[in-house]
Amino acid sequence: MKKLLYFILLVVTGITVKAQNPSFSPATFTAEDEVTLTIDVTGTGMAGAVEAYIWIFSNPDIGGGADGVTNGNWTNSSNAAKMTAAGTNKWSFKFIGTTMFGQSPAQLKSFGFLVKKKDGSSQSPDYKPYFFDPLIFTPTMLRVFPARVGSDDVVTVNFDKTYGVTINEQRMTPVSATVTVFDETGAQVGSPLTINARSTGTSIWSASFIPSVSFTPGAGRRLNKFRYKFNGTVLDPGGVTTTVSSSETEVVFTTMQ
Amino acid sequence: MKIILKTSLLVFAAAIFFAACTPVEHKELGAPRNIMESISGTWKLTKAIQVDEDASKKGFPFKELDITTLFPYTNFLLTLNLTNGGPGTFTTTPGSSPRIIKLASGNWTVDNIEYPKVITLTSGAANEKVTLGGYPVGASNALKLKVERKDAGTGKLLISYSYEFAKQ
Repeated sequence: MKKLLYFILLVVTGITVKAQNPSFSPATFTAEDEVTLTIDVTGTGMAGAVEAYIWIFSNPDIGGGADGVTNGNWTNSSNAAKMTAAGTNKWSFKFIGTTMFGQSPAQLKSFGFLVKKKDGSSQSPDYKPYFFDPLIFTPTMLRVFPARVGSDDVVTVNFDKTYGVTINEQRMTPVSATVTVFDETGAQVGSPLTINARSTGTSIWSASFIPSVSFTPGAGRRLNKFRYKFNGTVLDPGGVTTTVSSSETEVVFTTMQ
Repeated sequence: MKIILKTSLLVFAAAIFFAACTPVEHKELGAPRNIMESISGTWKLTKAIQVDEDASKKGFPFKELDITTLFPYTNFLLTLNLTNGGPGTFTTTPGSSPRIIKLASGNWTVDNIEYPKVITLTSGAANEKVTLGGYPVGASNALKLKVERKDAGTGKLLISYSYEFAKQ
């Protein structure tokens, strides 16, 4: 009876306790902090490997990314990318974001990585994205509030034409925002959502939505990221009202607890 | 003669001074506040504020947003029932409001029956925690609840929602 109880306890514990993989030390870090990541590759193509190399990259899926300076070539990783054994199927690696990617703290938003053999014959899946804590506030034309959001949160996208790049972006009067959501496979979820924009400042327009209310992913899928742009009007040289759109940007949802 | 006069004046002044000190009777404080009683009942959401906790911590601009009118939050109703003077059952009736509490009904408990801070709402195996921002006692009759959203990977607090309810 006692053995049965222990067995049930073990099974329940195994189901309910899910270790964070990868884990980071410290748990939160800026692009200028030294951080040690530890990854358990059990169940991946790297399980049982006797040595492992990291392949690391910045800003996955949002543009402006760079490969880690330690990566080397896919078929011949550099020795600087060699990971340290941290237990059975566990590997750790220490790095500083700005040094690793040769980018400024303002440029570095997130990073991702995979674990591979030196010759690239085996690899783990991608692990991404993991966010750097920003050091400074950088005003931009397109901004999301809050800065990091989950798919169940109220998401407000903002357009500040002070920071417009093109003439249309600098001159347009926004009337709506168009949001397109994607699942973790990259497939578009439903149809793009167009929301009315409201003026929230001298040069700022905003539009709000709740992703999980407006978009339903396919069975077994989850909302992973969204892209948004603002639409508005400008007067052309002939005085005719013309519809224009801003550039588009992408936001990856943070998994919340 | 001068010394006698001075001494008499001092004694007279001291007598007046001490005579003014009459004992004051302290009144009873009354029964302790019954927080459970004040929390119970049906509450309607009146205000919803979203806070970017990370931006607040760093002193960045754009720290919070009043989202009360962005969506029909004010349709949301929360009912907290008592059982034998303690936490009992609860129901949520969102109407057209976003579900600020996902559970529809179940039981609620508190971390401290006299001075509760965290309310745990449970329905089967699922549970949600909300933090009390203020007791609806005295001059304030609003129930204030706070819901925190943390990064599942790091446990870092990223967003909080502050909700104010009025008793129905």
